[in-house]
Amino acid sequence: MATPVYDILIIGSGPAGATSARFAAKMGLKVLLIDKRQELGAPIQCSGAVSRHALEEAGVEPNAEFIHEDIYGFSIYNQEGKSTVIDYREIKPDEYGKGDERKPLGYVVDRRRFDRYLMTQAERAGVEVWLKTEGLGYTPGKDGSCEVQLRRFNRLLKVKAKVLVGADGLQSQAGKWANLRTHIPLRNLASCLQFIVDGVETNGLLEIITGHRWAPGGYAWVFPKGNGYTEIGLGVVRTMTNRDAQWHLDQFIQKSFFKERFKNARILEIQGGGVPLAAPLRTQYADNLILVGDAARHVNPITGGGIHTALSGGRIAGEFLAELIQSGKKTGKANLKSYQDRWLEAGGHKIWQLYGEKTAIFRNKDIHLRDEQLYQTMSGYFSPDSTYKKI
Amino acid sequence: MARKEPVVFFIGWNACINCGACVAVCPQDAGFISAFDTIAVNTPCDIVCMACEKICPVSTITHQKANERHETHAA
Ligand SMILES: Cc1cc2nc3c(=O)[nH]c(=O)nc-3n(C[C@H](O)[C@H](O)[C@H](O)COP(=O)(O)OP(=O)(O)OC[C@H]3O[C@@H](n4cnc5c(N)ncnc54)[C@H](O)[C@@H]3O)c2cc1C
Ligand code: SF4
Ligand code: SF4
Repeated sequence: MATPVYDILIIGSGPAGATSARFAAKMGLKVLLIDKRQELGAPIQCSGAVSRHALEEAGVEPNAEFIHEDIYGFSIYNQEGKSTVIDYREIKPDEYGKGDERKPLGYVVDRRRFDRYLMTQAERAGVEVWLKTEGLGYTPGKDGSCEVQLRRFNRLLKVKAKVLVGADGLQSQAGKWANLRTHIPLRNLASCLQFIVDGVETNGLLEIITGHRWAPGGYAWVFPKGNGYTEIGLGVVRTMTNRDAQWHLDQFIQKSFFKERFKNARILEIQGGGVPLAAPLRTQYADNLILVGDAARHVNPITGGGIHTALSGGRIAGEFLAELIQSGKKTGKANLKSYQDRWLEAGGHKIWQLYGEKTAIFRNKDIHLRDEQLYQTMSGYFSPDSTYKKI
Repeated sequence: MARKEPVVFFIGWNACINCGACVAVCPQDAGFISAFDTIAVNTPCDIVCMACEKICPVSTITHQKANERHETHAA
């Protein structure tokens, strides 16, 4: 069989990969999108909170197919249960709320449905998608394109592309293939566990609980999940505790100021993962290769949120590659550097700033002071006049 | 300082939630992965930083020295 040839090959059909693919195909590129899973988004490794603004900016119409529940604001708690409530239904009642002309601030989405929806939108824009296809490695060639080694339903095959997009998430191997420095140290990766439960009430707010006692190095959360279900989860940094996330989550459920509220909780699903509270990669490109989304550590290092940044980075990557390839320019690393520059301009610099703030908080050895700073920073971050509002 | 002795990891599959955190934190070269998206289980690791065991939210990774590996565990 002759080697198939594409303009770009994207590894990983999460929010970053599917969005890169959709924008590149819309602008006329021949795109192959692959994912090793049989069902996108499963098993779930995400809580699914995303702002409406983030979806709109990436051209994703909010759709009942993937929305678990509408969100109207935040409630940030300190260790003892004191809270700052930021409810947009009260701050701007004409704009936010249910019904007539009013809208939610954001959503909790079902990542299985959300990722499938994004893949479908990419397919409709002309992208070719192969599931059960794993990326194994890539070799830049002399002709200016690269050869990518794949395994599809156990069959080894090769595909040629001008650019390989590594959108392969947190466990990304694509950057390692190009010898980029992708390693996340233990102190910058939060170990997370979450339960979807029945029997716990919520009120359209994302609740964030800070404090070293409950979640050393991270925070705990209570999110509405639709149909009366709720998610209780937390992330901890293992250089700050000798116990694992499971132990901390049990403590939080049984001992925190929410123990009464949680006492009838019945577990329906168990999920987890790693959240990089890390800096973006300093180099996100190599010959015939760029990285996007979690693979490039495009994540908000204070909240750990990475859906918005995956969508916006995906759009930048797709549009950039379409412009570059259609102009007939070479796809070596010298030209691909402009992708990273564009990403930094569009919001990446702000992520670096947030990383600086986060590092300053956790460098503080005084636990009380640190807790207070984290509580203030989180409360400020979600307030209506935050400078980081749109990240 | 003496080099650390290589170890082989075991995953208690019953508790593993397939979250991939162990792979994300691992400084090994590309491909040090099992068929179930955890760190490799049949290849000895010579870095021995133990970040994988620490990051695991359900503490289901354990190890043995590679040269003392018992056949009963080889899965
Ligand atoms: C517990 C937890 C809670 C979170 N909660 C939130 C939240 O509430 N809000 C938020 O914004 N963010 C949240 N995040 C972060 C968010 O999940 C990620 O930032 C986001 O999924 C990144 O998207 P991505 O497209 O870069 O990568 P992913 O969504 O990880 O997609 C990567 C894709 O690549 C595929 N893949 C990987 N390797 C290969 C390969 N070799 N070959 C083929 N395919 C491959 C995978 O199968 C996967 O489908 C959370 C994360 C965790 C762990
Ligand atoms: S000990 Fe360190 S290098 Fe070895 S597998 Fe675990 S994380 Fe990877
Ligand atoms: S970190 Fe633990 S639970 Fe997660 S994939 Fe690795 S072994 Fe499984």
